[in-house]
Amino acid sequence: MELFLNRVSDGLSNGATYALIAMALVMIFKATTLINFAQGEFAMFGGFIVLVLATERGLPMWVAVVVGMLISAVLAAGIERTLIRPFDPANHLPLVIITLGLFLAINAIAGIVWRFDPRAFPELFPSGNALTYGTATLSWYTVGTLATIAVVSGGLTLLLTKTKVGLAFRAVSSNLESSELVGIKVGPTLQFGWAIAAAVGTLGVCVFVASPFRQLEPQVMVTGLIFAVSAAALGGLDSLGGAIVGGLAIGLVQSIVVPYSPIPNELSLLAAVVVLMLVLLFKPSGLFGTPQVERV
Amino acid sequence: MSDSSAPAANPTRSGERVLDVKGLEGGYGQIQVLRGLDFHVSDGEIVVILGANGAGKTTTLRAVSGMIARTGSVKLRGDEISSAKAPDLVRRGVAHVPQGRGTLPELSVEDNLRVGAYIRSDNEIDADIERWFDVYPVLRERKNQRAGSLSGGEQQMLAVSRALMSRPTLLLLDEPSLGLAPIIVAELFERFAEINKETGMTMLVVEQNAQLALGVADRGYVLESGAIFAEGPADELINDDAIRKAYLGV
Amino acid sequence: MASTPRFQYTLGTPAYRTYKWLGFGLLALLLIIVAFAYNDTGSIALLDNDYKISVTRVTKAIAFMVAILGLQVVAGFTGQLSLGQGFFFGTGAYISAILIADYNWSWYLTLPVVITVCFLLGLVFGIPALRIKGLYLALVTLGLAAVFPSLIKLDSFAKYTGGAAGKQIDYEFVQPSWVPLDAVADAFHKIPLIGSYFGDGEGLSSKEEHRVWTFIVMTIIALACFKMVSNLVKSRPGRAIRAVRDNETSAAVNGISLSYYKTMSFGVASALGGVGGSIYVAELGIASEGDFTQLLSILFIVGMVVGGVGTLSGAVIGGLVIAFVPDWASSTQSLPGIPERWLQGPTGGLILGILLIVLTFVLPGGIISGVRQIKAKFVRVTPPRPALVAVGSASTSTLSDDSEADSGPSDAESPTIADDS
Repeated sequence: MELFLNRVSDGLSNGATYALIAMALVMIFKATTLINFAQGEFAMFGGFIVLVLATERGLPMWVAVVVGMLISAVLAAGIERTLIRPFDPANHLPLVIITLGLFLAINAIAGIVWRFDPRAFPELFPSGNALTYGTATLSWYTVGTLATIAVVSGGLTLLLTKTKVGLAFRAVSSNLESSELVGIKVGPTLQFGWAIAAAVGTLGVCVFVASPFRQLEPQVMVTGLIFAVSAAALGGLDSLGGAIVGGLAIGLVQSIVVPYSPIPNELSLLAAVVVLMLVLLFKPSGLFGTPQVERV
Repeated sequence: MSDSSAPAANPTRSGERVLDVKGLEGGYGQIQVLRGLDFHVSDGEIVVILGANGAGKTTTLRAVSGMIARTGSVKLRGDEISSAKAPDLVRRGVAHVPQGRGTLPELSVEDNLRVGAYIRSDNEIDADIERWFDVYPVLRERKNQRAGSLSGGEQQMLAVSRALMSRPTLLLLDEPSLGLAPIIVAELFERFAEINKETGMTMLVVEQNAQLALGVADRGYVLESGAIFAEGPADELINDDAIRKAYLGV
Repeated sequence: MASTPRFQYTLGTPAYRTYKWLGFGLLALLLIIVAFAYNDTGSIALLDNDYKISVTRVTKAIAFMVAILGLQVVAGFTGQLSLGQGFFFGTGAYISAILIADYNWSWYLTLPVVITVCFLLGLVFGIPALRIKGLYLALVTLGLAAVFPSLIKLDSFAKYTGGAAGKQIDYEFVQPSWVPLDAVADAFHKIPLIGSYFGDGEGLSSKEEHRVWTFIVMTIIALACFKMVSNLVKSRPGRAIRAVRDNETSAAVNGISLSYYKTMSFGVASALGGVGGSIYVAELGIASEGDFTQLLSILFIVGMVVGGVGTLSGAVIGGLVIAFVPDWASSTQSLPGIPERWLQGPTGGLILGILLIVLTFVLPGGIISGVRQIKAKFVRVTPPRPALVAVGSASTSTLSDDSEADSGPSDAESPTIADDS
């Protein structure tokens, strides 16, 4: 029982990262029906920026995180403006190719600049446990990751429902043509979406590697993206709330499956992909997505 | 939309041409639908563009709104806007209710209205929203519901209200009667007439339902295969036998 | 259009036929030269860098070409991208490796097995094709590509696949005795000036012979694949699918079940991927999961795009690009003006990524469209009588059968997936 609780705790904290990256994917998908295959690399790059700010510039950890999020938001906004906006949003092929190109290029740049040796990432949450029950422990890390999701979720909700740009974003996600007709400029609105997605993704990577068991290295999000895609699909590709549920679910699947393989990663990735296939096969709109994603 | 205390006013029309279009051509890619249209809408008028399916009525409106590529001269109160893009039009006082209503289905009724006022930065937006809830109480009832769950007629009310939230000086309406029950359509056109009477709102309406449209309009144009076939005051058009037989299904 | 091209041909005339045969002849000559030149690992030295080229690398490129050809089929017929061609490539490689190493099969016999298995797998994963328009295939194939190495390493499979250590095969392609490889090699060696690139004039060692023969065999197989796809594209169903690809109503009215054909084409694409993998493992001698990661699938896409989406020649160019660029990029240890630090690390990935982005802007039809544009300045082929050429139908993501009378200097438009207006 206590072992199980520990596994649940692990699963939730892993799931938190998948949830955050999944939220980033959903932000962009909602507005453009495009999956940004480079999302993981954006996040990883942001993570390195945070690391540099914290270790080389000596910024306090959370300040580094926030600044890193801002920087990655700006970079993503720049990428949207130069590489994405020139293309007709309805035509996916060039855009998918561009995101693949970005995947390769950003991964390579990270490898060139920071090499491939894993780096320790400073902890974001107090070490130690918040609760113990026999041998089961609930680490501050797990609590912290879940709290992060709550804060991000709350923040995004406020942003989307109470601000003008948030309203514009929701409008563009709902009906592009009508949005233009009320005067919304689609380009800058999408740019906002890309920026927010990058920031959330960066936070996701930071939370992921801030664990004493993990380190930051350029390949960290290559398989991580698959987990996030599964999470997003499970939750419904256009549902932010669904991304959270999906992320936590995938995290739990991963940690409960772990005991059955001496090479944990192998089986858990397989499990995530199986979930993805099942979702796409039987309920493509996921748990909370709008069915219009399905072909009529 | 007037205060119930003030008498219903009929603002005098200035005769100025709010919309003046010459030689409008446009289409979709290789297919040029419009073949050089000339028409205008003067201040305070309701002008109707009629024609059979495929005549190019919707394309005309989309061309004016900058939603498709077009050539020719489009002047808004004397200012050339033929190179303007769709989001700029509303800043210049043109509101376009597209075919099929164009509501934002995932947003709430209230959010739909609020987004209609996107270009405004004054503090009367909430008051305007309230006013529209007064005019259409059913919208107030459903104000937090997803707009996509409303009936066709309700969505049309919402669409028109949303368009007017931007306080435009020219209202473009694309086939407002499409898909709606006759009773609702009749009410709709009555409402258009009221709005026009009370506020002097200039309107350009594209319609298939010629009878009703000509009933409220001042003037009309009849489109055929992308060119203007006939034009004139509404009562003349409605009484012209040839036109009645060919286009009005009478 | 400034000047008329210097060479004009009309389809069906003897002059055109001569021109075509000349082209084929040149191609054959080129292949033979490649087979014998740099038989051992040769290298070109440029600016202090050593760039290796050899027949073995070209054979690897052939494997990639066939895989990319499969991608072209998917892109051309379904208008979608598959992000998982690496999965089928790897599957083909392992099937061949296992049958050869554990059951002593001949490589040639493994091919039908590979084709069948990969085709069926393709059907299975493609059957719910278009559940979500455009996105389904990308996501499913992304998952497949990501999970392939894990599948290989799974305990239950590892006993067959050799797990992380890989599966080694000891296979020699031995040429029939009537093939005069030695004689040809020596003949090349005698050519003045360039003869030294063709070995040492003393015949070929058996290892070298095997390499050359492998190359020849694989080239023939690849040519067969390309020919098959070309026929598919030109066939009636093929043309019909391309015509109604994005229009369900058209399709239904014409009695074509789009889902059926799209699923079938994914099956074909997967089979081609598998064949590519078999070629790869035959050349390399070992199947190892690290070669078949997600990255490979992405590289295949890069190859397809760089070569030219939806074109057959694009697959050839693409295969060469992804076989050589990463290799040569890491061989580049010094370039004037660029700090060394920047040249270490995954420069190949960087170059390909940037290339992908730049091409999407500048030359969306890939290198082949650039080549065609240049060629159009010199040669024009016209059909024998005025034909109704669809206006503006330079839509590039329909599989072009490379017949030159198609659409003159074109392909300047962006390839599209679902929207082909």
